[in-house]
Amino acid sequence: MEKTAYIEINNLCKTYIKGKDPALDGLTLSINKGEIFGLLGPNGAGKTTTISILCNLIKPTKGYCKINGFNVEKEFNLIKPLIGVVSQEIAIYKSLTAYENLMYFGSMYGLSKKELKERIGYFLEKMNLTKFKNEKIDHFSGGMKRRVNLIAGVLHDPELVFLDEPTVGIDVQSRRVIIDYLKELNNEGVTLLYSSHMMDEAENLCSGIAVIDYGKLVVQGTPKCLIEQNDSKCKTLEDVFLQLTGRNVRDYF
Amino acid sequence: MRKFIESVKKEFLVLIRDFEGLSLMFIMPLILVFVITLLQERTYETVNETRIPIVLINNDMDSVGFAFTEGITNDDFFDVTIIEEADSLQMEQSKDDVASGKYQMGIIVPEGTTKSIRNRVLALVNQQVPAMMNVDTANLQQSVLVDLFFDPITKDSFRNIIKSNLREFSSKIETRIVFLTYSRIIDAMTNQTTEINYPEKPVIEFDEGYVCEFGQIDVPSSVQHNVPAWTLFAMFFICIPLAGNIIKERYDGCLDRLKTMPVSYLTIIVSKLLVFLMVTILQAAVIVMVGMWVMPFAGIQPLQLGQSMGGFVLITVSAGLAATGFGIMIGTIAKTYMQASTFGAVSTVILAALGGVWIPLYIMSPVMRQISQLSPMNWGIQGYYEFFLRDAGIINVLPYALKLFLFFAGCVCIAYFYKIIKNKHIA
Repeated sequence: MEKTAYIEINNLCKTYIKGKDPALDGLTLSINKGEIFGLLGPNGAGKTTTISILCNLIKPTKGYCKINGFNVEKEFNLIKPLIGVVSQEIAIYKSLTAYENLMYFGSMYGLSKKELKERIGYFLEKMNLTKFKNEKIDHFSGGMKRRVNLIAGVLHDPELVFLDEPTVGIDVQSRRVIIDYLKELNNEGVTLLYSSHMMDEAENLCSGIAVIDYGKLVVQGTPKCLIEQNDSKCKTLEDVFLQLTGRNVRDYF
Repeated sequence: MRKFIESVKKEFLVLIRDFEGLSLMFIMPLILVFVITLLQERTYETVNETRIPIVLINNDMDSVGFAFTEGITNDDFFDVTIIEEADSLQMEQSKDDVASGKYQMGIIVPEGTTKSIRNRVLALVNQQVPAMMNVDTANLQQSVLVDLFFDPITKDSFRNIIKSNLREFSSKIETRIVFLTYSRIIDAMTNQTTEINYPEKPVIEFDEGYVCEFGQIDVPSSVQHNVPAWTLFAMFFICIPLAGNIIKERYDGCLDRLKTMPVSYLTIIVSKLLVFLMVTILQAAVIVMVGMWVMPFAGIQPLQLGQSMGGFVLITVSAGLAATGFGIMIGTIAKTYMQASTFGAVSTVILAALGGVWIPLYIMSPVMRQISQLSPMNWGIQGYYEFFLRDAGIINVLPYALKLFLFFAGCVCIAYFYKIIKNKHIA
C-alpha cells in the first residue's frame, strides 16, 4: 500500500544575509507518514534551518512546506497540536525540576492535570528518571537533560516529532534509551524527522534518508539503497556520506 | 485560562529560585534606602543639629556677659567652652584654638560691657529727667567692642547668624536695663517700690509650618523623600532580571519550544508581566514597612503615610507597570544578557538621577527641572509626594499614574513593533 506524503517541502530557499550563500537553495523533499526520516548533512548544510522552517520558527525566503496538508506559514495553528519538537538545545527550564518542567510544557498542550500526571509518570519511568523527578534540571547530567528534553517534546502524544540531533553529547547508555524509545514511538505510528551527524545511528534507525549539502538535496532513499547504489567500496552509510559530501572540513559562519 | 495559570506558576518558580535576582530586587534596594536615608539624615543633622564648638570669654562678669553665657549655653546650636576673666595669654590661646579648628568661633565679651550699656541708658534718661539722674554724661563711655573671631572655613551665612544672635542677646539686655532704670525712676518719683517681673518670653513668637492643600502635614524628612524615591529605583531596577528572564528563555530554546505549542505569545508575556508586577508591588510594600517600623531602630524618624491608600496603590501599580514594561522592552530588544544588564542598569540610574531620586527636584536648576519631567521616575516621585506629603487621594495622583501607564504602553508597543520588524527581517 502506498504511503501518503505527510511532510511536503517544495523548492525551499532561505537566505539569512543578502548577498551571502543561501542556507537552503531549492530543497524539495517528501516524507511519508509513519517514517523515521533522517536528514543528514555536514555542518551548515541546512538541516536545522529546514527543521526551523517546518516548525515555523523562521520564514522561508522562497518556497513552502506543508504538514498533513496544512501550509506551515499560513496554517501553523492547525499544525501545532500535531507536532512535537526535540531541539538541539536543552530547551527546558534549568531551575525547575523535571516534574515541574513536564507539568508546565504538558499543560501548554491543554492536557488535564490528571492525564499529565499519568503521562509524566509513564515517561519518567520509561526514561529511568522517576527517582530524579523532583531534582532541578541544573543538577542533571547531560544524558538526563536530553531525556527530559525528549519527554517534553512527546508528552502530548504528537503525530510528528522533529528531532534535531537528539543524542548529541551524551553517553552510550542514555543514547540507547533514547534510540529504543524512538523506535517504539515509530512503531506506534508516529512520524519522526530526525537530523544527526551519527551515521551509524541513522543507518540503524531511519527508514528513509536525505543527504543535503549547501542547502540542496544530494540524495534521498533508504539506507540500504543508498549503500547499494554507490561505489562498491562504500560499506556503511558513513562511507556513502563522505563520498557524496567530500572529506573537507566544513566551517561556516 | 489554565495555560495562563500554569505560566504564572512557572514564572513564579523560576523567580524564587533565582537567588541573585531576588537579592537584586529586595536586599539591594533596602540597603540603599537605609544607607542613603541615614546619610542624608546625618547631613541634615550637620546643618541643624550637630553642635558647633565655640569658646566664650566672659571678661564682663556682669549682666551682658552672663546673658551671653546663658543664651549661648541654652542654644542647642552651640557646644560652648566658657572662660571667665581670661588674661591676655588665655585670650591668645583661644584665638589659636579657633585658628587650629578646635573651635569654629570665639567670642570675647570685654570688661565693662554691661557698664557701657548702663551708662548709655543713663545718658539717655538724663536727657529727659536730668534732675532725677544728676550724673555727668560727658564721661560716660558710649560703645564697647565684643571681639568675634572665626575659623577661616566658616561661611558668611554662619557668621551672619552668629552676629544676629549676639545682637539679639545684647539688645534684650539693653532693653531690660532701660526698662528697669525707668522703673526705678518712676518708683522714686511716686515714692513707691514696685516688684516687676520682667517677662522672659517675647510677645511676638513665630509659628512655622509647611503649606499644603489638604491641611496640616508633618515636616518632610529624608525618610519621606528617600523611601518613595528608592522604592521607584528598586522597581525600575527590575528591568534587569525581567529582561534577563526573557533573554534566557530565548537563548535556552524554551521560547522556540513554546512557539511550536498551542499557546499564544501574549499568554507567555502577560504571565511574566503579572509576576514581576507583583514583585514591584511587594518591593514597595516591604520598603514602606521598613521605613515605618524598622528605620526608627536606626535612629531615623519613621515614615508617615497619607490617609488615602487608594492613591498609594494606584501610583504603585502604575509605577510597577511602567517598570515591567521597560523590562519587557529591554528584554525584547537586547541580544544578550550582558547588553540588557548594562543598558538596564545605566538607563535606570540616568532615569533616577533625572527623576529626582538622588537629588530632590527643588535643588535642581530650572532647566534640569524641565528635563526631569521626561523621566518616569519623576512622575512616580511626584505621585508619591502627593500621597506621602500632601495626603492626596486617587484623583490627585491620577495624572501621574496615567503618565506612567502611557510609558508602560509605549514600552510594550516598541517591543511589539521591534519584534514584528525583526521577524520580517528574518524572513
